Amino acid sequence: MARKRTRASAAGAPVTTTVVVMRLYVAGSAPNSLKAIANLQAICGRYLKDGYKLEIVDVCEHPRRALADGVLVTPSLAKVSPSPASNVIGNLSDTRSVLAALGLPAGMLE
Amino acid sequence: MSPELPSPARSPSRLTTEAAFTDWIRRIVTGAAELQAFDAGQLDAVLDPATGSAILLPEAQAALQGSSRLVLSAFDALPGEVCVLDAAGTVVMTNIAWRAFVAARGGAGLGVCEGENFLAACRNVGASERVRAQTVAAGLREVLAGKRRLFRSEYVCRIPGGHCRFTLTIAGIAQDGAGYAVVARENVSERQRARAPRGSGHAKASRIAAVARASAANRLLAALPANEYERLLAGLEPVRLTYGEVLYQPGERMRHVYFPSDCVVSLLTVVEGHRALEVGLVGREGMVGSRLALGLTVSPVRALVQGTGTAVRMESERFVQEFRRSPALRRALFRFTDTLMLQATNNAACNRFHVVEARLARWLLMTRERTPSNEFHLTHEFLADMLGVRRVGVTHAASALQRQKLIRYRRGTITILDQQGLEVAACSCYRHVRVKGLEAAK
Repeated sequence: MARKRTRASAAGAPVTTTVVVMRLYVAGSAPNSLKAIANLQAICGRYLKDGYKLEIVDVCEHPRRALADGVLVTPSLAKVSPSPASNVIGNLSDTRSVLAALGLPAGMLE
Repeated sequence: MSPELPSPARSPSRLTTEAAFTDWIRRIVTGAAELQAFDAGQLDAVLDPATGSAILLPEAQAALQGSSRLVLSAFDALPGEVCVLDAAGTVVMTNIAWRAFVAARGGAGLGVCEGENFLAACRNVGASERVRAQTVAAGLREVLAGKRRLFRSEYVCRIPGGHCRFTLTIAGIAQDGAGYAVVARENVSERQRARAPRGSGHAKASRIAAVARASAANRLLAALPANEYERLLAGLEPVRLTYGEVLYQPGERMRHVYFPSDCVVSLLTVVEGHRALEVGLVGREGMVGSRLALGLTVSPVRALVQGTGTAVRMESERFVQEFRRSPALRRALFRFTDTLMLQATNNAACNRFHVVEARLARWLLMTRERTPSNEFHLTHEFLADMLGVRRVGVTHAASALQRQKLIRYRRGTITILDQQGLEVAACSCYRHVRVKGLEAAK
């Protein structure tokens, strides 16, 4: 079963805020997958606030969906929009590369 | 292609050697980023295009198998007799208590071994049990067919020297589209014997039954052998402990020891001129007053109830007698005392080195483990004592956790919203204390 975690923009958010849509492919509760979820949630909470939508796909439950999306390994993060699409492989412990893939300026990193 | 590795994620035992596995992955995965993550040990699974399945990497398999082992240990640690049946009624899993029952009773009373069929056993019972066995079989069929979720029945069977009376509870579970049933057997003969008047009539019997109910959740008592536990029951009395109640003051004689069921008691050290500071937290895994086991009768700490609930207590003198008499109680107490000492030493380091936010997260998780609810009624004042900080420090830490949507804090009520997130926010001490706590409770 695909787990969906969606956080829409708050009603009062500025109109210029772009919502980043992402999909994280994980393998059940395997260690790197759990790390990737925690790391991504920390990054989103810190840098995107409410301006993102995240869908978590468990490849143990939905392997064919992942293959159809061109995913071969997990954990794997795909930025769906805004374009250009990009992805990051691994447990997302490198915040700099995740920010880069999400199209956020590296200058945000303290 | 992957002729040697067609296994889906659910059957990792078919994986071959690590070298062959690595070769196979390098044939499937050719992207630089994927290979870099693989070399860095950051991958969990590879999707096999040939079979359309996910293959777990050995490290991920080992970790998941570790959690499966934990579940099996928990299954074995259950004091009741439990087995799991597949859709055909065949026993696929039993816990230690079930196996001990089967070994002791030689298969009487539907004592079925792994691999045998429970429904067949119901058909093959003696004439005296036939009607009850048919009722159980009919109930089991309905559960397995998904027609009912739960079935309960009382069952009596003949054993050498008398009769054995127990209740069977059968609950349905679904796993990967298949129906299973969990069968739990509770021996009510012993309970009835306890109810039987032994000189002082029905009042005594119902008091013992009340103590048995109130103490059932305490894992230290549950770990004792049945005969030693029954002997303790006579000296225990159920009590309701309320939030803010002080059980001991520093320097005071400990009149009772307490075994919490669903309440939590903080042990606070009081240093003149400073706020109190929590040095230990005791819930259903242990006992308050364990210092008596060391031959000391005066409490060095304030024992403060910080979660309302039930407990059973025993007079200190009686407890010391029981402690001397019962090797199992001694072993359990020594293990628990060790856990409490580790908690105290850990707290000392944690209070010195970790930030208040992480400590608050750790403390909330420790409390959550010991209480049946995600919601606690706590004031800033109280939390400040628990963490050894000023009230403003608690306000900042609670606000930070609230901003991360890990907790909600309103009018003295804290609700845990995201347990996993709170574990990430907590300091590493929680992991150490939690694991040791579990070990002690086995």
